[in-house]
Amino acid sequence: MSSSSRLLQLAIPLVKTHGFTRKTLSLSALSLPTPHTEPLSDTAISSLWGQGDDARRTLITAWLDDARQQMKNVQSPTIPEVLRARLECNEPVLSYLPEAFALLASPTSGLPPLDIRPGLRHAATVADEACWITKDAATGTSWYTRRASLATIYAVAELHQITSPKTAYHFLDSLLDASSAIKSSLDEAELFTSYIVKGWAGIIKSKGIF
Amino acid sequence: MRHPFALRCLAPFARSFVTAASSASAVYTDPSRQHDLAVATTPADISQKQQCILDAALRVDQAGEIAANWIYRGQMAVLGRDRTTGPIIQDMWNQEKKHLIVMNRLQAQHRVRPTILSDVAKVAGFGLGAMTGIMGKEAAMACTEAVETVIGEHYDDQLKDLDALPSSHPSIPLLKNIIRELRDDELEHLDTAVEHFSQRAPAHALLSTVIGGGCKIAIELCKRM
Repeated sequence: MSSSSRLLQLAIPLVKTHGFTRKTLSLSALSLPTPHTEPLSDTAISSLWGQGDDARRTLITAWLDDARQQMKNVQSPTIPEVLRARLECNEPVLSYLPEAFALLASPTSGLPPLDIRPGLRHAATVADEACWITKDAATGTSWYTRRASLATIYAVAELHQITSPKTAYHFLDSLLDASSAIKSSLDEAELFTSYIVKGWAGIIKSKGIF
Repeated sequence: MRHPFALRCLAPFARSFVTAASSASAVYTDPSRQHDLAVATTPADISQKQQCILDAALRVDQAGEIAANWIYRGQMAVLGRDRTTGPIIQDMWNQEKKHLIVMNRLQAQHRVRPTILSDVAKVAGFGLGAMTGIMGKEAAMACTEAVETVIGEHYDDQLKDLDALPSSHPSIPLLKNIIRELRDDELEHLDTAVEHFSQRAPAHALLSTVIGGGCKIAIELCKRM
């Protein structure tokens, strides 16, 4: 592991105290096994992780990656449990998240005025991780629909958590229940349609058309 | 381009040297081995380039097995009641069903995004199978011959590409053995098609060229999408 990655890992536990800031990155050097006597200088931070907000973006991305890894620690994983575990990771840093997401959505070059791709990537990777951990066996188109529905549910639950942390878990469960109900209705409609198609195919065959 | 005859000559030779590969896919259908490292894990320390090779290989192979299943489904819809051809197509279809189960397991194991074109592969496969079935038994066999020739070549090329992956992780040698097994099965289908007069199909050369060309385009699309 490179020294910048090592320092980044050491900065992650400090986020809950100092937020997604350059200060957090500078203090990471004090947590080394043989700690520095002083925090990293601003020049050192810029050279390791980029100028200005680029260093903060690196820290946010590292924190999101780490939080996603925490999802694997769930005992007997199910989709609701794994997504709940991911929401729990947000709790210590909840007050810093709106600014972090706003920073990720701010374009580095000025255009477009709002870059939603990092937000979409965040929700999509959480959904993909949840499917991977629970050994979801979806293939083909259902691989995409499953992840898209979970990403939407997680993103909505996370936004809800930022405004109302206490009700977020109940809200997540209600969204997952509604999604299951819709899926089961669609499956039943598909099954019924297949019976009708097979019925018509049988009628056509019995008439000797084919 | 390798000639189908060359591939057919190679098949028994290859098979005699890959006895280990002949049952390689059985580990994916054996519940007692579902926790084996080779079956349950993916190499974690491979480069971005190696990961791309693995992703593209499994994505296109899975799409190919989906399409093959639907080609045989289409042929069975038309020729299923034919006492001679029906059982032959059914046998080949049964093997393709097994291949698809293995490919689905491999896709999940190596965390590969499936192709977004899987539904297109199903529709196109069924259409191709049904259309050649309507053209007659020989045309259906010519379709099998053309498809399996391209797929056999594709698996051969893929084995060379997979040499770029480290063999230190047990899943990679297993994957190579599975691809050898699948290639040999596809070449058996090619043999079967020729034995059942694929080359007597109307406009055989044109049919083979069009179907083979379509397969090659589909392979390139599925690698990317």
